[in-house]
Amino acid sequence: MRRQYALRSMTLIAGFGLVALAILVQMIRIQNSEQAAIFLSQGDQYAGEFRMFYPERGEIYDRNGHLLAGNRTVYEVGVSLLEMEDPDALAFTLGTYLGLTYEEVFKKLTESPDSWSYVVIQDYVDANTVAALQAQVAQLETANDFRLQGIAFKPHFQRSYPETSLASNVLGFVTRDGRGYFGIEEKYNDLLAGNPVQVWVPRDPNKATEIPRVPNGTTLVLTLNRDLQARVESILDEALIEYGAQNGAIVVMNPRNGEILAMSTTPRMDLNNYTNYFSLYNDGSQYNRSIGTAYEPGSVMKVLTMAAALDAGLVKPETTYVDTGSIQVGGFTIQNWDKEAWGEQNMVGCLQHSLNVCMAWISTQMGPTIFYGYMERFGFGHPTGVDLAGEAMGRLKTPGDSDWYNVDLGTNAFGQGVTATPLQMLMATSAIANNGKMVTPHILYSMLRDGHQYNVPSQYGGSPITSQTAHTLSEMLAQSLSAESSEALLSGYRVAGKTGTAQIPTDFGYDPSVTNASFIGWGPVDDPQFMIYVWLNAPTSSIWGSQTAAPTFSKVAEQTVILLNIPPDNVRLQLTSK
Amino acid sequence: MQATQIIHAYKQAPWRVQRQYVGAFLLFVIVASMIAALYLTVTARAAVTGREIQELRIEITGFQRANADLETQLADLTSTAVMEQRAFALGYRPVKPGELEYVAVSGFVAPEPAILLEAEDVANPERIIPEAYTQSLIEWFDEEIKFGGAKQP
Repeated sequence: MRRQYALRSMTLIAGFGLVALAILVQMIRIQNSEQAAIFLSQGDQYAGEFRMFYPERGEIYDRNGHLLAGNRTVYEVGVSLLEMEDPDALAFTLGTYLGLTYEEVFKKLTESPDSWSYVVIQDYVDANTVAALQAQVAQLETANDFRLQGIAFKPHFQRSYPETSLASNVLGFVTRDGRGYFGIEEKYNDLLAGNPVQVWVPRDPNKATEIPRVPNGTTLVLTLNRDLQARVESILDEALIEYGAQNGAIVVMNPRNGEILAMSTTPRMDLNNYTNYFSLYNDGSQYNRSIGTAYEPGSVMKVLTMAAALDAGLVKPETTYVDTGSIQVGGFTIQNWDKEAWGEQNMVGCLQHSLNVCMAWISTQMGPTIFYGYMERFGFGHPTGVDLAGEAMGRLKTPGDSDWYNVDLGTNAFGQGVTATPLQMLMATSAIANNGKMVTPHILYSMLRDGHQYNVPSQYGGSPITSQTAHTLSEMLAQSLSAESSEALLSGYRVAGKTGTAQIPTDFGYDPSVTNASFIGWGPVDDPQFMIYVWLNAPTSSIWGSQTAAPTFSKVAEQTVILLNIPPDNVRLQLTSK
Repeated sequence: MQATQIIHAYKQAPWRVQRQYVGAFLLFVIVASMIAALYLTVTARAAVTGREIQELRIEITGFQRANADLETQLADLTSTAVMEQRAFALGYRPVKPGELEYVAVSGFVAPEPAILLEAEDVANPERIIPEAYTQSLIEWFDEEIKFGGAKQP
């Protein structure tokens, strides 16, 4: 009996053992089958997702910490089709709040491909609209009404410019794809945008700490002074109206270190609505004429010709020249602006009366090698290297170029046949205002990243003239301005400068009725703290720079000394002597 | 002799042997249950903490967005055009050069252009989370063996 019982037990154990073994074998077989690998990979897909994290774009401030470009939250409004209860109600509500038609939304909700589980209704919806929509959804859900179920709001940043059009020509703008165009936004796009990071985001909460932090883009502090920029823009706009000019540019720079304090051109655009770009500009060079448009500067160039002659030892301020009203250079006759003979003049008189003949005489006395050598050292024909996108470099024809003629030596001396941007003129002339050292203009003051501030050092573009030449010429220019009672003068401050009136070249020669009016000046002469370039394109009330650009310079200089706290000369000298 | 036989018989009684097996089995079950319960508790707490971390991250992102929005709103309210409008409404007008008075203040140094930096950025948040929150039991055990309880450099 006991043996029989034992046999049965053993049989049962063996049977169960075999079943268990079979299950085990089957488990191992399934676990290692091809299908298992497929199921595992499918399972992994649902264990998390790859997400691209875009860092917040760096902000842009002026030198006093005023925000010029920041970010604001906008939303992508969409509908989860799997959760959608009532397309009718959704189409009506979303259409009303988002300014879309019922049919438009309804079509998106009902005619999307079957494979879609989510459909975007509208992107870049502002926070106020979304708040109102969320309140509506919440109100219905409180009343157990789930007809609006499925609406999703995905927040993201959009570039925002609190000052709208202020300094638009310097800042540039950012499109919806996150790319910067023009100005600072383009030049420093990589720094501002930061580095997007693709991250595997697990759904397993145990792995939550594996999500890395994405550092924000670098914040930039500019050398611009917001208040001065606003005043300069306002003065430029008023000047265009008062003098009937088509467009213009004004740049204010510190001649000691090249910091650009204000830079204004026309037209300007509301950066929050960058789609206006195409209606305002024909091409990119017009976006910031201070750096993008090279033109024949005219008589402001005489400052540099005189600098070269003084530095080369060819003339002194008291050197005299008998002006007969014309001079022959390369077979062409060059005349003064008034076609008159001014008789005996010293070099101050040449500058004061802006005599073309005198300048052509000086350049021919120097000869092409010396003259163009100096012009090269002043940086003509090369970009200034300013940290803004879209800089033009102008053109300086030199002997050996196929389109250079002997007469160019004479005309280049008074700013014809050579092109430069307003910023190139400022950079070249900074050598005179800054003891012979030419500064490289720049707009970036510092960068802020990871809690640290990195200041950008000033750079110098060489010393084309000696310190003594610079002082002598500054005095000559200050004297000539005073002597002619120029409208550029600023009460209480001694300034140096030069007007320019250049006829505009056309396909049929120079048009005598249309000019570029310019003025370049700096002050106070004994301790220059600002340097201003004014360019008015085709003024109609008067074609002369002395009657249009010069008074505009004076207005800008007046605002500059106020906003930069520069006391009148007598007060300053009293204060420094204490 | 008889007493020895009785004790021996008692020790070998089938019910006693069975009770020993049952006891051993129950002990195994209890230990296994305790380990399972401990594992479940730790895992559940880790899951809850992980979820909280995820929610805090979302909250931080929300605060960062709110910060950026508020900063932009503040800039809107203090923009040049708005401030100028407010100044005019309050009866102010732009100053003219002759109306300014300059006073010498000994020791005054003109402020250099600078803006207030944001609070020190936390470049790597993992560094400030104690290791006890991030390392597994095995990692902790491994560290204890390697460093003998001394703080890692």
